This record gives sequence, C-alpha cells and structure tokens, in this order.
Amino acid sequence: MLEAFAAWIGKTPLSAFVAGQDWVMPAIQTTHILAIAVLVAGALLLQLRVLGVIEKRHPIGPLAARFVKPSAAAIAVLALTGLLMIVGEPDRALFRYVFWVKMALVAAAIVVSALMLRGLSATPAWTDAGVAPPLLYRGLAGALLVVWVAIIIAGRWIGYAEGWPGSPT
Amino acid sequence: MSMIGGAIDWLQATPLSTTIRESDLLFPTIECVHVIAFVVVVGTISVVDLRLMGLASKTRPADELIEELLPITWIAFAVAAAAGLLLFCSKPITYTQNFFFLGKMLLLVLAAANMGVFHLVVQKSLATAPIGPPPLTARASGAISLALWITIVAFGRWIGFTTLG
Repeated sequence: MLEAFAAWIGKTPLSAFVAGQDWVMPAIQTTHILAIAVLVAGALLLQLRVLGVIEKRHPIGPLAARFVKPSAAAIAVLALTGLLMIVGEPDRALFRYVFWVKMALVAAAIVVSALMLRGLSATPAWTDAGVAPPLLYRGLAGALLVVWVAIIIAGRWIGYAEGWPGSPT
Repeated sequence: MSMIGGAIDWLQATPLSTTIRESDLLFPTIECVHVIAFVVVVGTISVVDLRLMGLASKTRPADELIEELLPITWIAFAVAAAAGLLLFCSKPITYTQNFFFLGKMLLLVLAAANMGVFHLVVQKSLATAPIGPPPLTARASGAISLALWITIVAFGRWIGFTTLG
C-alpha cells in the first residue's frame, strides 16, 4: 500500500515540479532547517529554564508563552516542507526505518511537551521566579532535549540511509 | 595564490582529510553535529534579532536577553565551527572552488562585522531604552543579522547540492 502511495504521489505534477528544478529541493530543505531552528531554540530555552540552568529569575509561564505561537508556526512549516520533500522524492523517505523513527520521536516530543506545559501551568508554585519544578519535570526536560537531538540526527540520516529490504529505492 | 593552493593540496592529502573522505560514517556524523549546533546558533540569534526589531519578547529588556542567550550562542557556534572545519578538511579542493562555500564564508564575515558594530556602537543606545520600541539602529542591526543568518543557512544547504560526488 505504501509502495502504491509512493508510486502515485511520484506521478503528480507537484512531484514533477519539486524534482524538476535544481533550486526547489534545496529551498525546501533550507526552509525546513530554519523552522527547526525556531522550534529547537524555543524548546532549548524552555527546557533549560525548567532544569534551572537559565532565566532562573523569571517565571516559566511568560517564557513558555513567548514561544507557543512561533513553535506552532514552525511545526506547520515543518509538516508542509516535510510533505513537499516526500512528494518530490517519495522513495527517499517512506521506505527507510529512520524516517519512521523520526516521525515517532516527533510525535512523542510534541505530546510530552504539551503534557508537560499543561502540568506546569496547573501548579503555579512550580513555575514561579527562582523556583525549579519537581524532579519529574526536570527529568522530562532533559529527556526532551535528548529527543530533539535524536530527531535532528534521524532527519539528517534519512539522506544517507538505505531503504529496507525489497523497497523500491 | 599558489601558496594557498599548495596549502589546500597539502590539507587534502593529510590523513585527517583522507579518513573523513573515505569513511561512510564520519562525514554524516560530523554533519549531524554541525546541524545540531548551528540550529541552536541561528535559533538563539533570531530570538535576539526579533527582540531588537521590536517584533518579539517585547516584555524583556534586550540587554538582559542578550546576556542570557549569548553564552549559549557562542558555545554552539564553537561546536558548529569545529565541525564545519572538519567537514571542510574532507574535501578542501572541492569546497574552495564552490561558489556557495566561498559565499557562506563571506556572509559569516559580514555577520561578524554586523555583530561587532552592534556591540561597539548600537548596544549603548539600548541602555536608554530598556523596554519598548527599539531605536532605529537596533532594528537595523537585528534585521541585517536575521537576513544574513537566513542566507548563511541557505548557502550552507546549497553547498551540499553543488558538491555531490
């Protein structure tokens, strides 16, 4: 089914456009990387604050609030440019394990970040200036930073990995 | 020029260059480190740039934001530069003949110059306007920096597409 989908999407005019011009794919990838920079900067600063490394004199709420809209916009741009990359080169990502590992990690990172923010905002005493949240939250913050690094590595590795056995790559 | 050419030829023949070039794993691994580090560089710089332009983090004084973020930016930049140097070492002859590589190096020099002007001249004017609409010079510094870093990322990505094989 995945192979039929890849074969179909590879025959669309959009696929021909993305794959046909020399400048389109690097432009899409550049946009993808810039959106990663926006998302990862927000995540890094928020998690470092939760860990108590930076911004200790400030409460967590306003810091998180500053990054909500840019992060949401970045996720939308990442999804769109990611889809365009798949449309342009369907065989490159869909049949490589590392692509699906990346998707699972992205889903996990977004869900855990949302749950974490919800848990923190429910208890204002944990997010005040000069306070570090409980150990569970600091542990999650550290884990999320590791997951973001893993997501970037997995993303770069899509370009180097081989397709799984029997795939049309 | 021939002295530089000689140095480039010498570098390409070093065991370090050969090892990275001939390994299937080293180049992509170093590339991952480079990407992780420069994403942090560009991300943290853009937070400051957008604040200088008066477009984001408006409730925070720019000076304070810079003080908090600049150490992270510098650490990440050191890692990105070291990893970038190793990537360069793998194929110095190819890279020194590549338009986007040379352009990226020039843009990095311009970004450094913009940053120097900001710290030496513009930043002083911020002290009188800690919160609120930033002075025109600060907005210009931020806009120039943001435009340069976006172009640097684009040139970097284009290097990969124009040095294949």
